[in-house]
Amino acid sequence: MAKYVLICFGVFLLSITSLWAQDRQLTGTLRDEQGQPMPGANVVIKGTSRGTSTDAVGEFRLQIPSGGTTLTISSVGYLSKEVTVGTDQNQLNVVLAADARQLQEVTITTALGIDRNAKTLTYSAQRVEGRQLTDVRDANFTNTLNGKVAGLVVTQGAGGPGSASRVILRGNRSIQGNNSALFVVDGVPIDNSNSGQVTSDFGGFNGSDGASNINPDDIASISVLKGAAGSALYGSRAANGVVMITTKRGKSGKVDVNVNSGVAMESAALLPQFQNDYGQGNGGVASDKSNGSWGVKGATTYPNNVANFFRNAYSTNNSVGITGGSEKIQSYVSYTHNYNQGIVPKNDLTRHTLNLRLNTQISSRLTTDAKITYINQSIDNKVRVGEGGVVLNAYKVPRSVDLADYKNVADEAGNPRYWTTSSVYMNPYWTVDRIANNELRNRVLLLGSARYELTDWLSVQGRASYDRYDDANTYQYADRTLLYAQTGGTYQVANAQNIERNIDILFQGNNGLGGGLKLAYNLGGSVNDRSNIFTQTNANGLLVPNKFDLQFARTLQVFTGLVKRQLESVYGTASLSLNDYLILDVTARNDWSSTLPAPHSYFYPSVGVTAVVSDMTTLPDAISFAKIRASYAQVGNDPDPYRLAQTYSFGQGGTGGFVSRDGTKPIENLKPEITTSLEIGADVRFLNNRLGLDFTFYKTNSRNQLLTLGLAPASGFSDQFINAGNVQNTGFEMSLTAKPLAASSRLQWDLTLNAARNKNLIVALDPNIKQSFLGGSFGRLATPVVREGGSYGDLYAFRWQRDAQNRFVVDANGKPLSSKEAEYIGNFNPNFSLGLNNSFTYGNLSFGFLIDGKFGGVLASGTDANSAFDGTAAYTTANRDGGWILPAVTPTGEANTKAINAETFWTTVSGGRYSWGEFFAYDATNVRVRELTLGYTINTPGTFIKSARLSLVARNLFFLYRGNAILDIPGVDKRKLQYDPDVNLGAGNFQGIENGNLPSTRTLGLNLKLAF
Amino acid sequence: MNAILKNTLYCGLAALLVLGLSRCTDKFAELNTNKTKLTTLGATEYPYLFSKAQSASSYPFDKYQVAQNLFADLYAQYYATTATYFPSDRYVVRMDWLTAHWYQPYTQVVPQLKTLLDQTDKASPENALASIMWVYTFHRVTDYYGPIPYFKAGEPAFSVPYDAQDKIYDDFFKRLDAATAVLKTKTSAKPYNTFDLIYGGDVPKWIKFANTLRLRLALRISKVDPARAKTEAEAAVAGGVMTDTADDALMVKTLNGDDFNGLAGISVWNEFRMSASSESLLKGYDDPRIGVYFQPASGTKTYEGLRNGLLPAQLNQPANSNDNNSNIGERWVKGAGSAWDSQKTTPQDIMHASEAYLLRAEGALNGWTMGGTAQALYEKGIEMSMKQWGITDAAKVAAYVSSTKTPVAPGDALNSPALSNIPVKWGSTEAVQREQIGTQKWLALFPDGMEAWAEFRRSRYPKLYPIANSDNADLPSGTFIRRIPFLDLEKQTNGDAVKAAESLLNGPDKASTPLWWDKNK
Repeated sequence: MAKYVLICFGVFLLSITSLWAQDRQLTGTLRDEQGQPMPGANVVIKGTSRGTSTDAVGEFRLQIPSGGTTLTISSVGYLSKEVTVGTDQNQLNVVLAADARQLQEVTITTALGIDRNAKTLTYSAQRVEGRQLTDVRDANFTNTLNGKVAGLVVTQGAGGPGSASRVILRGNRSIQGNNSALFVVDGVPIDNSNSGQVTSDFGGFNGSDGASNINPDDIASISVLKGAAGSALYGSRAANGVVMITTKRGKSGKVDVNVNSGVAMESAALLPQFQNDYGQGNGGVASDKSNGSWGVKGATTYPNNVANFFRNAYSTNNSVGITGGSEKIQSYVSYTHNYNQGIVPKNDLTRHTLNLRLNTQISSRLTTDAKITYINQSIDNKVRVGEGGVVLNAYKVPRSVDLADYKNVADEAGNPRYWTTSSVYMNPYWTVDRIANNELRNRVLLLGSARYELTDWLSVQGRASYDRYDDANTYQYADRTLLYAQTGGTYQVANAQNIERNIDILFQGNNGLGGGLKLAYNLGGSVNDRSNIFTQTNANGLLVPNKFDLQFARTLQVFTGLVKRQLESVYGTASLSLNDYLILDVTARNDWSSTLPAPHSYFYPSVGVTAVVSDMTTLPDAISFAKIRASYAQVGNDPDPYRLAQTYSFGQGGTGGFVSRDGTKPIENLKPEITTSLEIGADVRFLNNRLGLDFTFYKTNSRNQLLTLGLAPASGFSDQFINAGNVQNTGFEMSLTAKPLAASSRLQWDLTLNAARNKNLIVALDPNIKQSFLGGSFGRLATPVVREGGSYGDLYAFRWQRDAQNRFVVDANGKPLSSKEAEYIGNFNPNFSLGLNNSFTYGNLSFGFLIDGKFGGVLASGTDANSAFDGTAAYTTANRDGGWILPAVTPTGEANTKAINAETFWTTVSGGRYSWGEFFAYDATNVRVRELTLGYTINTPGTFIKSARLSLVARNLFFLYRGNAILDIPGVDKRKLQYDPDVNLGAGNFQGIENGNLPSTRTLGLNLKLAF
Repeated sequence: MNAILKNTLYCGLAALLVLGLSRCTDKFAELNTNKTKLTTLGATEYPYLFSKAQSASSYPFDKYQVAQNLFADLYAQYYATTATYFPSDRYVVRMDWLTAHWYQPYTQVVPQLKTLLDQTDKASPENALASIMWVYTFHRVTDYYGPIPYFKAGEPAFSVPYDAQDKIYDDFFKRLDAATAVLKTKTSAKPYNTFDLIYGGDVPKWIKFANTLRLRLALRISKVDPARAKTEAEAAVAGGVMTDTADDALMVKTLNGDDFNGLAGISVWNEFRMSASSESLLKGYDDPRIGVYFQPASGTKTYEGLRNGLLPAQLNQPANSNDNNSNIGERWVKGAGSAWDSQKTTPQDIMHASEAYLLRAEGALNGWTMGGTAQALYEKGIEMSMKQWGITDAAKVAAYVSSTKTPVAPGDALNSPALSNIPVKWGSTEAVQREQIGTQKWLALFPDGMEAWAEFRRSRYPKLYPIANSDNADLPSGTFIRRIPFLDLEKQTNGDAVKAAESLLNGPDKASTPLWWDKNK
């Protein structure tokens, strides 16, 4: 209902804007030197802020005052031009010349939504155009940022469409907090919390994140501010870097309609290699009760069992965007419908996004901007990852069992049909048919701002925003579902309401000080409120079996949560510029946070300097632009609420409930966390800007992190809050851009190479405690830890025991022995990442591809451990008949002489659910063709459809390289990585472990854009 | 128009700026108070604390498996694991799982009991009950490891020292003596009332509970300190121990808050089945309790068990599968195959009169004043156990007590022999009688694997099968596990104290080192 009201409102606004038209109309076309139409250029009446921009075919219409006037026409990468319009002139054709120094003019949206010329920035930032996100699509647009920004690493959720993604800039720094970048839309942070992430290899259902709700069709551009320096003014949450999103706004002139329609097909691209020689059974004997495939050789097997279980998933997206307006009011209205199927049957996502933006120019001094975005998203049958999830359930089918036979999920008595008994695994079709986790989200984002030019050099802006989303999650497990069903079935309803409110005010000034000196400054204050209200109701079994509604509950049980916090801030910036080539930036911010003890206050500054060397002095001709920059910044971070005082929890149970003291010892004198960041960089362009190199070196240290570290439980506390630690990240980012072909060539080739390296060091943790876990306290396979002297995300797992001479150790029977305790097997972070983007344009034809590589890092796979244990993995066929004498020594140092067989080996090193991680850990290095697009644009100016662009797109096409198992097992061929390291088990800090993740998928699609 | 607009705007902006600068931090303290929690405790909350401590002392559902079932229950050999991924049945001490056994008493029981012990009147029945629960909780901790942090437990510190087990037992006896002294003067009080999940505040029953616990602990030290054992046991019996099933200690279990019966909760997971030891005894004696403790295997429709300590490859054999072995009884779980329905509100067995009789029988054999002959107490103990499980047919019970049947070979995949050759019928030699008492106590204690494992270590009764395979180099084949080594968790968080505690052991910090009260070779 609310949707229709909004639509009506939008249409109404469009209709009134035309009433403001006045004066006379000028039409014009704009072309470049090659005669190509130039869309998106600005056309402004000189001396005013009245203007418009050109449409998709380079045309514009503008109301100009009667009489002669002068227009300023500008476009990024071109020399601006002033054109005089004659008194009677109604038509104008303009050609803009390319600016030799074009790339300097890239505009970066910086903190607080202030646009700045990239040339003047003192820190590293990179821009992504909206169109780079709308050709190749994903239900979560953040997944399409991979490879496009140096130093940005995205891992996508393993639970199908809508899964939370993890967006990391410059490595991980927060041990127990959030490491994901902050998302800011039109100058205001939005909630990107991802509650309910899986944090152990047992698995579970992952919650959605906030950023995935952003509609890529509404994005005009993205600026990624990588370090703390760029983001000092967003305070707390910006220490992980900021993804600044600018959305589309209305343009004056005639009504433009843009329609985008896409269809895509997604399919499993990387399935594990299974053996097809041995059937169900154990010890070489067939058994129809066995859960393993250690039976007889030559059994009838079903090679496509698993492949057939997954489906080809179809997606459609349809959006329409309408802009229009006069120079007084411009509006933008868009509606987008996304439907994304997952490759697991019944899993899909449907999203409606309605967006309405209205900009007004009430007077020459007063402008306003208002925006309403409404999102309605439902995800059906979310996919559980880990144990008991549908993926492992399907992979565990013995090779000689026809999975299709189990589509009939229940026997006559209604009991689940399964080929064996298990404690957690079940028929995957039962999982699909009888288990459902559905999520419904309604989200509204409101933004209003007004800006007033107090004088020529000083303006003030007030802004308020409201971001609220309500999630309703239902969980249902049919009666008799193994492990999860209570009597009659399990039913739970969880409702969460999240609200974030920002109010800020900002004074912006700009003064010339004479002698080429200019000063720009901002002074502002803001209040940020966040709240989360949570209610979960459990039915504790259903009186009428499988009636999934709370009124059938056996006993109702309710859990509630309430979190509120407020942050008040005052901040200022000053930028002193000498001749636009030497710029000094200073920022300062003071926050008062409700989560800190009195006086609640903390202060943090930043300073940066940039020198455009090419403007200061004459450089050799080959160097067309050169700048160097350096900055130092601090960002403070307030902790989560309620850490200061001892609390006691009430819990259901017993006869009247329980009260117990909370097990974490509070910290009365809590301090804010401070991240210090130092970066230096250079931006150099050669050969008339055809070759460019942007290089940044950085070092960040996060200190005083709020950690819960284990305390001797005998003290009565399981852990305590402490301020401790020093986590250091050092690294570099490099972005190389090139135009290998001359500008005059008909074929254009743009090449961008993004590369980044990050090295993490846990400099210090705590004098008493040297290690903290990143989740997974029950480590079935491997556990990521933070250990003093190590790196963030070091993985610890049981290994094959080695003796002092590093020889493998086996027991008296020739079976491998495990290390005494979990030992280091690697780190989950890549050392180095690379993105190579190529785009070619030939007339109306365009072609592009993105190759993405991650080098280093280790992934431990629980799926692999299960396949090995079950004897389904292809590599388990070696040595089945025994006679396998491992080249190893016994604990007493004698050479091993005892032969074993494959079943003994693999069931020793893996227990299926619990295993020795070293045997199932892989070098996560992988290089893939991430994106491919082939597009054709037809320009038909003057007709009803002004332009059309048809593109064929592909995502995640294939791997060029995959790493191998970190352990070479004598007698077994090298094992290649069969699981996608870019897919996470959950988007929290528990990374590096795969267990029942959905397989990596390939997407092929067709996209049509029409402009009317 | 313009002027008005301008003024309004300026005023509005000024107000906003003022709002931003004159921080309203006054309400921060209020804002940073968690409304879903309690921030202070008073007498109103004490009953809730007591309930929590009781529930946690015998492990809530989600900790029962890792704290008890994967260790003590397997080492007592009531069950054997059928899951291939639980090497604890092959004596691999998975310390990460055992953290549940450590966190529960120290962080879930101790804070609550300490508040009650410190805040209530020392002469109050509330204080006495808290003290009894303290002993109950800690005897299950110390009997895993030996020395543990005890006297300083619950005092916030970076390091909490370990205490020797003899000192801890000494305190147990003192506490129980003091608590019963207080309770004797308050027999009509109703401490904690319905929040007492065991007796609903019935003081006379708590006196019997405390004395039975004291008797249990006295027998535990009967080999290491016979004199103290006699004194404590006789004092306990004189003070009045449990004599009928009406005295039995059972804890209320509820669906609310997942506070349900732990054993019932985990019995649907197809991870353990009847052990060969249980099968040999229950089948051999034609024991009527077999149908209470276990149910016929869904595949074979007969009672079947498997040996402890099987390798994954052995467990994958059909004979050792879940379908071909007996799940525990319908008191805890109903169903078959892969569809089991957990009986979650079944009360949890804490302590029973049957145990009291069998403890007294052993005491009588020791020559202590136990209010009866060893034989009479032994037979009464069996009768009481039968009664406890609803077997009240006197003729059936009498036939069992006088039966000469002996344990049988379980007919398992390893062709194991019979466990022993003793009948139920009272024997003629003290050695046989001791084995009979130990064997019947093991049967009567079911499903309390914590106590059964402790008593097996002390008495070596009943005779149990050596585990089929040991994956623990410290426990070669044919030996039994004697203790749980100090946990890695403690080495990481309480390292200095653990180091110091090694000198309090009877040997190295290994699973093969006997506890203070374990005088077996």
